[in-house]
Amino acid sequence: MLAYIVRRLWQMFPTLAGVVLLIFFLFNAVGGDPALVLAGKITNKEQIENIRKQLGVDQPYHVQLGYFAFEIATGFTCTYKSFTESKSPAPDAKGPAADAKAPEKKADNSTCQAVRSWATNEEVPKILTSRIGPTLTVMVPVLILETILGVILAIGVAYVRGTLTDRMIMMICTFAMSISFLVYIIVAQYYFGFKWGMFPVQGWTDSFWKNFTYYAPLPIMLAVFVGLAPALRLYRSFFLDEINHDYVRTARAKGLGEKTVMMKHVLRNAMIPILTNVGIALPGIFVGSFLLETFFSIPGLGREILVAVNRSDFPVIKAATVYLAMITMIINLAVDVAYKAVDPRVTFK
Amino acid sequence: MSAVLDNKSAPVAAPLHQASPGLWTLAWRRLKKDKVGMVSMVVVIFFLLMMFGSWAGIIAKNWSKEVGVSYANPAFMAGAENLEGVRKDDKAEASKVPYVDLSDIDPLAPRYKEWEERTAKIKVTETPRADTLLFGGDKWGRDVLQKAIKGAETSIFVGLVAALLATFIGTVLGAMSGYMGGKVGDALEWFYNVFTSIPYILLILAFAAVFKRGLDTIIFILAFTGWTGIYRLVRAEYIKHASREYVKAAQAIGASHSRRMFVHILPNVSHVCLVQLSQHVVQFIKAEVILSFLGLGVPVDSVSWGTMLAEAQSELVIGKWWQLAAAGISMAILVTAFSMLTDSLRDALDPKIK
Amino acid sequence: MDKLLEVKNLGVKFKLDGGSIFEAVKGVSFDVPKNSTVALVGESGSGKSVSAMSIIRLLPREQAIISPESEVLFEGRNLLKEPEDAMRRIRGKEISVIFQEPMTSLNPVFTCGDQIAEVLRLHMGMSNAQAWKRAEELMNEVGIPNPQLRMKSYPHEMSGGQQQRVMIAMAIACEPKLLIADEPTTALDVTIQKQILDLIAKLQASHHMSVLFITHDLAVVGEIADHVVVMQNGDIKEKGPVKQIFENPQHPYTKALLSCRPSVESRPKRLPVIDDFMSAEGLKPIHKEERKRGYADGDQIILEVNNLAKHFQLKEGLFKKRDVPAVKGATFKLARGKTLGLVGESGSGKTTVGLTLMRLHDATGGQVLFDGVDLLKLSEKDFMKYKRRIQIVFQNPYASLNPRFTVGQILIEPMTIHNIGKDEQERVQMAMALLKRVGMPEVSFYKYPHEFSGGQRQRIAIARCLTMKPDVLICDESVSALDVSVQAQVLNLLQDLQDEYQMSYIFISHDLAVVKYISDQVMVMSEGAVVEVANSDDIYLNPKQEYTKKLLGSIPKGWQETAAA
Repeated sequence: MLAYIVRRLWQMFPTLAGVVLLIFFLFNAVGGDPALVLAGKITNKEQIENIRKQLGVDQPYHVQLGYFAFEIATGFTCTYKSFTESKSPAPDAKGPAADAKAPEKKADNSTCQAVRSWATNEEVPKILTSRIGPTLTVMVPVLILETILGVILAIGVAYVRGTLTDRMIMMICTFAMSISFLVYIIVAQYYFGFKWGMFPVQGWTDSFWKNFTYYAPLPIMLAVFVGLAPALRLYRSFFLDEINHDYVRTARAKGLGEKTVMMKHVLRNAMIPILTNVGIALPGIFVGSFLLETFFSIPGLGREILVAVNRSDFPVIKAATVYLAMITMIINLAVDVAYKAVDPRVTFK
Repeated sequence: MSAVLDNKSAPVAAPLHQASPGLWTLAWRRLKKDKVGMVSMVVVIFFLLMMFGSWAGIIAKNWSKEVGVSYANPAFMAGAENLEGVRKDDKAEASKVPYVDLSDIDPLAPRYKEWEERTAKIKVTETPRADTLLFGGDKWGRDVLQKAIKGAETSIFVGLVAALLATFIGTVLGAMSGYMGGKVGDALEWFYNVFTSIPYILLILAFAAVFKRGLDTIIFILAFTGWTGIYRLVRAEYIKHASREYVKAAQAIGASHSRRMFVHILPNVSHVCLVQLSQHVVQFIKAEVILSFLGLGVPVDSVSWGTMLAEAQSELVIGKWWQLAAAGISMAILVTAFSMLTDSLRDALDPKIK
Repeated sequence: MDKLLEVKNLGVKFKLDGGSIFEAVKGVSFDVPKNSTVALVGESGSGKSVSAMSIIRLLPREQAIISPESEVLFEGRNLLKEPEDAMRRIRGKEISVIFQEPMTSLNPVFTCGDQIAEVLRLHMGMSNAQAWKRAEELMNEVGIPNPQLRMKSYPHEMSGGQQQRVMIAMAIACEPKLLIADEPTTALDVTIQKQILDLIAKLQASHHMSVLFITHDLAVVGEIADHVVVMQNGDIKEKGPVKQIFENPQHPYTKALLSCRPSVESRPKRLPVIDDFMSAEGLKPIHKEERKRGYADGDQIILEVNNLAKHFQLKEGLFKKRDVPAVKGATFKLARGKTLGLVGESGSGKTTVGLTLMRLHDATGGQVLFDGVDLLKLSEKDFMKYKRRIQIVFQNPYASLNPRFTVGQILIEPMTIHNIGKDEQERVQMAMALLKRVGMPEVSFYKYPHEFSGGQRQRIAIARCLTMKPDVLICDESVSALDVSVQAQVLNLLQDLQDEYQMSYIFISHDLAVVKYISDQVMVMSEGAVVEVANSDDIYLNPKQEYTKKLLGSIPKGWQETAAA
């Protein structure tokens, strides 16, 4: 199994390289000149030229890519410019890549500067790490509740498959799924928060407990409610797929009751596709529901990224994307390893 | 093909020829028996006709005309008080209800000024304004029903074209990867892994950050980020079919690779593509609405269900619910019908006869 | 004789998708005496499995309707009227079942021990420890080596034969009075089939239970059954003691079933087909004349294969690749107008030989000399000329025709690719003529594959090959998926075509009787290696290798006086 994990980690490099290339292509080649992006704020030509130099975008693309790779390697805590300037005269004729291993030592050096937001001049790593807490406060309960409720309801619906109840619930699900998430949020916030005052309209504090018990419940309930319909439909189809298998017939032929068949034999097998599905959804919780965060003024990662997109704050988006891609790959690996727990047929080759 | 053969072989075979249903015909027959599916299809066709009508300028041509008073009541609420309805020349005083600051949560806030300037330009002639409109009016007194129709045009068009594009990309890449395997397959798998290792929403936002707003841009973004699911499915189907005996038989009789890929396998996986297409139209309509709501979608001078919802958010606070209802309900009807049609299609196309 | 089970007037209907009703079983009656084995025999669609499943009410509730006058009396109780919870106490305890596919019939995510113990806890009220211990004893009894270890194995870690033994252990765990075995050996290799049949017979005697054995294979019936019930299209055609059925069959259908299937003992010029027995004019004369088989000295060799090897590569570990040899150097010759039979169990590499020599797989090594030209050395372009001369008919008639093509398109495509026929019209005429030749009506030209039965599809697949007038035809398990009566028709067709066009066949099959019937020479393969090649009569009468002897010894012999005694 260790060999398997090592091999999978090894295989991540080409994918990560691809992500870096894609991001670089998007923001440095398509996204264009930061000077133009920031033109609204700065009008002085000299200043623009200065900024371009500072950011290194006056350099050819391959050099810029090197800078970007260097920033990624240091976790965005050290720009290449500040790194070379800190130990001037620059001795590195070999180029930025060769120094990629060194930066940890230099990170403490006061002259080594972290990548900063174009809009607020905050350090990007600090922005991202401070925003992750609120997002997880909302999204972890959402994922857990949604999965548990989805599985329970799906078993129930699969149990009464083919009946009128089943068809009605499926109809309701289809209809519930067709209403935009926006409508749910707007209406719920208006009634539950604004009009009836059952929940705070919006807000957030520094206290986790207060957030979790006071500000988060409405967003959590909304997300669970909206996510339940598609989860129920999907999980039901997983259960129905399993029910048609031969081993279910064997279980019945043994004299097991329909409930035992469902709760023991079918459930355990259906957990395999369900786990896959949760694995796919898992990386998504880090971006959170950016809509919920926006509406309820939750200072999470999703809202931060959205604000960055609106402000064309490229460093923040770039860093967030690269980080999250790495997290996604690690999670995927973890899910694949977790398969072994539910499916004995999985072998780590 | 059989029709062509029929002509050429008329002297030999004409008397023997009997129409024989292919799998598509059989699927269509099954679909026709499915009442829910047929009703959904009628609704979808109605919306599509509406889209073409609106696009051709037959209906909702004057959606941007300010025909009513500000927030004109719907016709069925003619008697209700409308504090906003009193026309003002001075815009600063436009509202008498308590001011609620939504700029924090309203991502469109920065754009209101721009919109107001635009509308100010459009306003040239003053025509008498109605106190009520069929389904009410918006802040500028535009007919909400017409806006909803025009908005439908935008949203459906975006969803449809983006889904077609995504299905095309996903099918071509999936077919190549699944059929060829080897180096080509590895390269395409890498490409797929790159796209899927970035969370979907983030990928869309990253694209949206660097491209200018516009109809073509949002179509491109949705298609270029949304092809991965289709790729995965089509690839799996191609792998499955490539090892089927009928494809082996085609290889044995000397059919070329492209012939096997497109003439033999493609018709046998096309039903998967069709269901995916239909599913993605729904998905992309929903995505477009959200992106436009956030101001990342359609340009500011056009209307979509998303921009309507953006306006509706602040209107709800002062009790003007009709724009929200118009956009929300019309979207819900279309999407429900489309989803049910997708389900029926999947059932009808499921090749039980093998 | 005491009756354990009486089935009276059993009728079962199915609701189909379009709302139509299909009558699967049309009021059948039969008995299962205590302490005996009753075989329910029939081809696909005969209603034999449906009848058996309705005894313990395991048919899908949504679709199956059992007619009200039906009765299933088990020790005097009508099972069709019992409440569901009483039924549950009967299933697995009084009546248990084993199914055709052991792989899919066991739950993949529970250990075999768990699955056996579950039924003991349920019906025998045993504690976990007791059940576990008893399950281990049962595993030992059904002949699974090293039961202590195997208890903790998952189904996928066992071979097909062992999986079926686990199913049997589970079925006999609670000492049932009746064991229903639904085609329990059909998915298994012939040597394993023999072992499982022996095991079931042994357990039947030692546990004093009755067995209802469902099968399509009369040869198996002869080995195991005391009584036989022959079914066709939902009706019982004949029932009686096994001796009577085999020695003095009354119903023409039974007679047809008995003689359609090729046997290792005789080789008539033509196999009798079902119409010979069932036609309105009464019995047609049966061809008793024997056909002589075997290579002769003057035979022209059309295909010579030397040391053909095919290895598959499996990725393993970080960078390693493991070489898995599927064919380890096969050498043989094929004479014009003759048939070479390739037999072996699953995994023997027989199919790979066929696919590799016509380059559907890339060979790892060796030579394939066709008219003196090494096919494996040719470029793709040069090989094109030879492609049409070696053709293949696959096993699964449901997968080998493109479902989106009409039969006409299927037949015309190879002619277009190889420029056969001067124009479209000529090709259509040729296609029509070929359809007629393989016994299909010309209207078929405009139809789609889904409108035909398995046998008809196989004829279409043969016609597709004939469009190219091949010299060599590879039949890869081409008749294995067909019912016996249809099998005989297709075998006769193949023989007629060989006589007419002087084609050479490579006939790949796991069915030793069929290979014996059709082949001049037989090549036995095992685990990728050629075990023995010889003229077919020689190999069957006088096998030289141990493996060949074992294989031949496993062929079900049908009913023999000695076996019954």
